[in-house]
Amino acid sequence: MKLFLLETFKTFSRWRTYISFAVIALIVILTEVVMKLSGDEIVNRMLKPFQRDFFISGNVLNVWLITAFIMNSLHIHIPFLITLVAGDMVSSEATAGTIRFLLIRPPSRIRIITAKYLTALFYTAILVIFFAVLCVCLGLTLFGSGDLIVHHYGQFDVAFIPESEVPVRIFLSFIAAIWAMSVVASIAFLFSTLAENSIGPIIGTMAVVIVFLVLGSLPLDFFRMLKPYFFTTHMINLWQQFLEVPIQWHVIVRSAIVLGIHNICLFLTAMFMFKRKDIKS
Amino acid sequence: MEAVLQTKNLSKRFKGRWAVRDLNIEVFRGDVFSFLGPNGAGKSTTIRMILTLLMPSSGSIEIFGEDLHHNRGAVLARVCGIVEKPDFYLYLSAYKNLEILGSMTRGVQRREIMEVLDLVGLAPRAFDKVRTYSHGMKQRLGIAQALLTKPELIILDEPTTGFDPQGMKEVREMIRTLSTERKMTIFLSTHLLSEVEQVATRMAVINHGELIAQGSVSDLLDRETTHYSIQVVPNAPALDLIERLPWVELISHDNNRLEVRIAEGRASELNRLFISNGIEVSSIFPHKTLEDFFLKVTRGKAAI
Repeated sequence: MKLFLLETFKTFSRWRTYISFAVIALIVILTEVVMKLSGDEIVNRMLKPFQRDFFISGNVLNVWLITAFIMNSLHIHIPFLITLVAGDMVSSEATAGTIRFLLIRPPSRIRIITAKYLTALFYTAILVIFFAVLCVCLGLTLFGSGDLIVHHYGQFDVAFIPESEVPVRIFLSFIAAIWAMSVVASIAFLFSTLAENSIGPIIGTMAVVIVFLVLGSLPLDFFRMLKPYFFTTHMINLWQQFLEVPIQWHVIVRSAIVLGIHNICLFLTAMFMFKRKDIKS
Repeated sequence: MEAVLQTKNLSKRFKGRWAVRDLNIEVFRGDVFSFLGPNGAGKSTTIRMILTLLMPSSGSIEIFGEDLHHNRGAVLARVCGIVEKPDFYLYLSAYKNLEILGSMTRGVQRREIMEVLDLVGLAPRAFDKVRTYSHGMKQRLGIAQALLTKPELIILDEPTTGFDPQGMKEVREMIRTLSTERKMTIFLSTHLLSEVEQVATRMAVINHGELIAQGSVSDLLDRETTHYSIQVVPNAPALDLIERLPWVELISHDNNRLEVRIAEGRASELNRLFISNGIEVSSIFPHKTLEDFFLKVTRGKAAI
């Protein structure tokens, strides 16, 4: 616990840590302001196929729709922001030489690496929570509340989640997002234990995430067959399922388990590598 | 005498090359033990193994009579190491750096931190970020780090690297203070022979990863006296004679003084040759220099 607090203190003492929060604030504020100015047009376009058959009334462009809309970009920009810190946890100490400061002290390497990993997960959680709080608070101020319309792009279906149910679902969705993003933190953390500089883990992690996202979206049978095994599939499935009607709990449970196994394997590998690592610099 | 540090057949292999091989050294309580060797001899590799930064390929290390591998935490709580230069978190203050260090070792009070910072003259800048410190201030912070946890054994790897003469002097004084006033055992790796001559009580010499000499500095120097200063008249015939003697190496000459390096036990033979060639020898005396000793033992590989 003491080591975890020390690591957390060190992480939040660096200005680099706050870049991610600033970027998220910028994205959320810009998106919500633009949606305020031109959101009606977007909603009209989204609901146009249904307007011949249905009469849709009420506050459609509300905080929940905006939040779900912004959350859809979660798998693109949040991983990058997570790697900025998680990919730096061990490698920056190697670059600065402070890894020696740490490793010649009584705490074992296993305790040190565990404290660092927990800090990376804590940072990931704080980042997603900040994202959630900002989305919801600003959204409530600018758009107010209402039912959430769920529509899958390119498909002729639409569903409504009542206003009374949406906050809980959004809350669970963000909890799931933290779990999903922890896999990105784990990948970056593993690369961080292998590298001597911070750039390698950031580029490496983003390359892995992008490659799996691209392969998972290619309309080829071979990749469609493999898609259920990609971690990115489960990463997206997990939080999106909470905004589906009805919620498919078996998909959520399966994705949560698959991602959990990824986390355990990645952390054990990082621990194994770090324990055996020779510090030559 | 109590052995504070012992290595037993310690070896480290990197990609098919032995960096350290079957190293057996002993450091006793109260020693200022100098670990000498040319660049690339294996000094840093040995120190990194002692500080658990590198894993030995074979052999073992005992510190305070305990196996380092099995009692790492307890042993390292009594040791302080500075590898090449003291490393600190530059974005934190000196106070915070020492607080982190202290809490990783045994836990320290604010008063203790301020005391050591005061001792090294950094108390007025205690809460400034280390990034704003000069090289000398960082070195003093390194000393504060060594004092804070009250270690029994301090391991210093090339502690004067990158220092000007004044900085080197300060480090030497720090080593003397830690040894004499605070009764700490010092293990000092260096390739600066003048440092060793001034501060060390015992030493070991390593070359190509293997131990080639170990003992007290005075004992080792007494065994190896190969550098002689000779006062001769006239000078020119003496130089001619030396040129013809393959077992004499001329180091320098100035007026009637010759500096030569010769094998042990051949000084009297050289004296006889000078006299038989009509050269007057007014004095001949040996220099016991560490440099000679070091050059001799690192040229050959025979163990001493």
